[in-house]
Amino acid sequence: MNLPDDFVFSQTSLQDYVDCARRFELRYLLRQRWPAPEVDDMLEFEARMDKGEQFHHLVHQHLAGIDGEVLLPRIGDEDVRRWFDVYLKSGLDGVPEMRRPETTITTVLNDTMLLAKFDLLAVKPGGRALIVDWKTSERMPSTERLAQRLQTIVYRYVLAASGEAFYGGQPIPPEQIEMVYWYADHEGATQRFPYDAAQYATDTAYLAGLIEEIASRPNFPLTPDVNRCRFCPYRSLCDRGVQAGRLDEWDDGADEIDLTAFTLDIDQIAEIEY
Amino acid sequence: MHLIKKQQEIANANFTSRLFVEGMAGTGKTTAAIERIKSLIKEGAAADSILVMTPQATLALPYRTALRRSRVKTAADVQMETLGSLAFHTVDLFWPLLAQDLGFKDRPHFLTLEMVQYYMTRLVEPEIRRQDYFNSVHISRNRLYTQIVDNLNKAALIGFPHDEIGERLKSAWLGDVEQAYIYDDAQASANLFREMCREYNMLDFSLQVDLFVNHLWKLKPVRAYLTAKYRHLIVDNVEEDTPATHDLLREWLPLCESAAILYDKEAGFRRFLGADPKNALLLKAVCDVTIDLDRGRVMSPDVEAFQVAIAPHLGEKDGQARPKDGNPRGAIVYPQDTRYQPQMIDWAVNHIASLVHDQGVSPREIVVLSAFMPDALRFSLQSRLDERNVPNRTHRPSRALREEPAARALLTLAKLAHPDWGMKPSKFDVTYALTASIGELDLVRARLLTDTLYRDGRLLPFERISEAQMQSRVTFELGARYERLRSWLDTYITTTSLPLDAFFSKLFGEVLSQPNFGFHKQFDAANAAANLIDSARQFRQTVGKIEPDVPAAPEYISMVDAGVIANLYVRDWQADKQDAVLIAPAYTFLLYNQPIDYQFWLNIGSTGWGQRLYQPLTQPYVMSRQWTLGDKWTDALEVVANQEVLYRVIAGLIRRCRKGIYLGYSEYGEQGMEQRGPLLMAVQNMLRRLTREEQHV
Repeated sequence: MNLPDDFVFSQTSLQDYVDCARRFELRYLLRQRWPAPEVDDMLEFEARMDKGEQFHHLVHQHLAGIDGEVLLPRIGDEDVRRWFDVYLKSGLDGVPEMRRPETTITTVLNDTMLLAKFDLLAVKPGGRALIVDWKTSERMPSTERLAQRLQTIVYRYVLAASGEAFYGGQPIPPEQIEMVYWYADHEGATQRFPYDAAQYATDTAYLAGLIEEIASRPNFPLTPDVNRCRFCPYRSLCDRGVQAGRLDEWDDGADEIDLTAFTLDIDQIAEIEY
Repeated sequence: MHLIKKQQEIANANFTSRLFVEGMAGTGKTTAAIERIKSLIKEGAAADSILVMTPQATLALPYRTALRRSRVKTAADVQMETLGSLAFHTVDLFWPLLAQDLGFKDRPHFLTLEMVQYYMTRLVEPEIRRQDYFNSVHISRNRLYTQIVDNLNKAALIGFPHDEIGERLKSAWLGDVEQAYIYDDAQASANLFREMCREYNMLDFSLQVDLFVNHLWKLKPVRAYLTAKYRHLIVDNVEEDTPATHDLLREWLPLCESAAILYDKEAGFRRFLGADPKNALLLKAVCDVTIDLDRGRVMSPDVEAFQVAIAPHLGEKDGQARPKDGNPRGAIVYPQDTRYQPQMIDWAVNHIASLVHDQGVSPREIVVLSAFMPDALRFSLQSRLDERNVPNRTHRPSRALREEPAARALLTLAKLAHPDWGMKPSKFDVTYALTASIGELDLVRARLLTDTLYRDGRLLPFERISEAQMQSRVTFELGARYERLRSWLDTYITTTSLPLDAFFSKLFGEVLSQPNFGFHKQFDAANAAANLIDSARQFRQTVGKIEPDVPAAPEYISMVDAGVIANLYVRDWQADKQDAVLIAPAYTFLLYNQPIDYQFWLNIGSTGWGQRLYQPLTQPYVMSRQWTLGDKWTDALEVVANQEVLYRVIAGLIRRCRKGIYLGYSEYGEQGMEQRGPLLMAVQNMLRRLTREEQHV
């Protein structure tokens, strides 16, 4: 076992592993920072991240009970205002009433923790359980591509495996679970992924196998697909190139942006000299 | 997990009650609370409805680690917050509800401490200079600003208007009039900073707390949101928390399904940050059940006997019974005839090496403590431990990022790449930057390159070295690397203009971290670069929103050079993973709150043990809810307070020790002065008394 005993897997770390084992090792096992650019146009990339964060925050505020009419006039960015307007019109259509924004669930698989952080979890005890993921990307990936993404696999699996606290203490039947990607930049278009027991069994085996493989492997090789390295900050560490890839070639519909990468460290207050 | 009966009452029962759990450090309160969380989840509580609240984030680490390791489904989802983080998240979420009343037009700008220091320098310092404030105070500007901010924080945490800071301090002061002027200046500076925050829509820690506890928490929808989200409260080290937290809990406790409030007796180490143990005790009245844990689970009988034996010599009147099977002498080791500090350090290092190499003690089970940990002492310890192959790590409250070689190199290269800033780096800095940037380039060759090719703030091409002999001294290989760096900078100057953080990132990725360059596969350098980039990005993003006309990049560089920015603690996020001897100031270890097998106390003759820090702009006892307005702070009170602090610190340390304490002492301290501090006196008095008792027997 080469994992620390408090290690927690997530869809992002598993996706990293599937994309490149070495990247997984560097980022999650060695926790090595490597601050090279991921794309050529860093500022545009940051602006997109910022807009995405603003939109997610607005939806969180709305789901926490603040009226949309209070929020809408305070939005400075045109794109974000348009997205939020679309959300107010149709974002919650068909979403069960018991809504829990920004909810994290962790399960245990193969004696290892596996975490999913949902933008929105809406569960009707005894009825449907809906996972909603807000997307602000310009592109919509194909259904086939999304179905293979670890996010789709991990989110539905974790809810089926450990969602009982939200379902009256009973496990949520996989058939009641659905994952929805909601696209703000496409007038609220959705891609939907229902679930069932057969898929749950398949996912269980797949994820367990993946975790077992990671835990037992003696080394973590570089991906053979050098094309991926263009958008990986570790490219210089791995001698896989100099320039970052072009932003317009970056697949923003599939690649996840970690919106929590630069959070405010409020607890600095206790760390200073007086 | 074996729990005693009283721990089981916490862990496995009272799931609909509010418990007040008190006991000394090391009696198993946190262990029981962790088991309670697991039980709550097994009973059907949603893990994210359980909130663990601690005075500072490090105190939640035992929960985070234990819950992750527990393999209880969803246990890792338990939420951990401090008052500060809860205030930040709540204000960030609900600020639109205050927009009309408090005049917020946009999402507020949340200031980190680094940004507070910056805005103090930028907005308040000109006024301080104009008015000649603090002309008799001789401490660094950063420490001065920290204390102004500390006063604002205390006002928010204790619950009095920020414009009463000066009067409160003055009313307790008995000495000369000069100090009263200093308090007036502190008040004026605090007022000015607060006005600036309002004007620029900035929220420092004090304003976040104020908005949270005095405004948002009073709003029905916000209170309903928080009390519905968090149904079960676990509050640890409540004695280290502030009245603002206690007030919040007093109103929250009746609304939650269950709670466990854990109170450490004889603690309150964060008093200088507003901790108020007496106020915390008032929460007992809002709880249904009180559980007193009185059986120590950490100290060996000998260590416990030492704690009991030394207590009366530290002014503690309540005599505890010494454990029958414990011998205080069995817990301590001390040197004979050490006159100078280096001898004491050698003595300590020899014992540590013996513990690790001869007795198989894990390095993580050893801590080296001192009242303060000056750089010289830390360096001596580290280098000697390195010589003996003993892994070690330090934890200091702050470390200057700009002192990291990789960060310094990046800052110099930024100046070279932006001649329009007019900040020509010195030859020394350029030499240093070339050495750090180009793989295998030594100082001599770097100096040669600088002397020959650095002209008027620019690097000239390698081919401009006319003498073949000099080129070969540098070597063509290194010359080619120099040329690649230089031409990259040249191309940047003529074609590109990026924000500073993006410049750093591009330079790091395209040159410095490439093969044959100084950062290639250098993980420490990459971490330093990443920290600098974070700092520069945060600066740009904040300043860019607040004052878009300020040129962020040269402003950032100026502030770094002035020691304002990049001067704060750099979190070493891997440090806690290492199996290494910890070197830390005593307070830091106490607030880490983890028991350990062996402790080494150094310089026990120092007067620093139990003495409060020099803080001319503030006063932790007067800035407290326990202080009666109109009372005077006398020398007698100072003596009593210091004695109480010393007792609590020493008792706190001993209660976090399992097996043994090494008391490092030298007749003369670091400055060559004879050491006769109160801790040394207490130890000597205790030993004399033990000798008398032994002779009697």
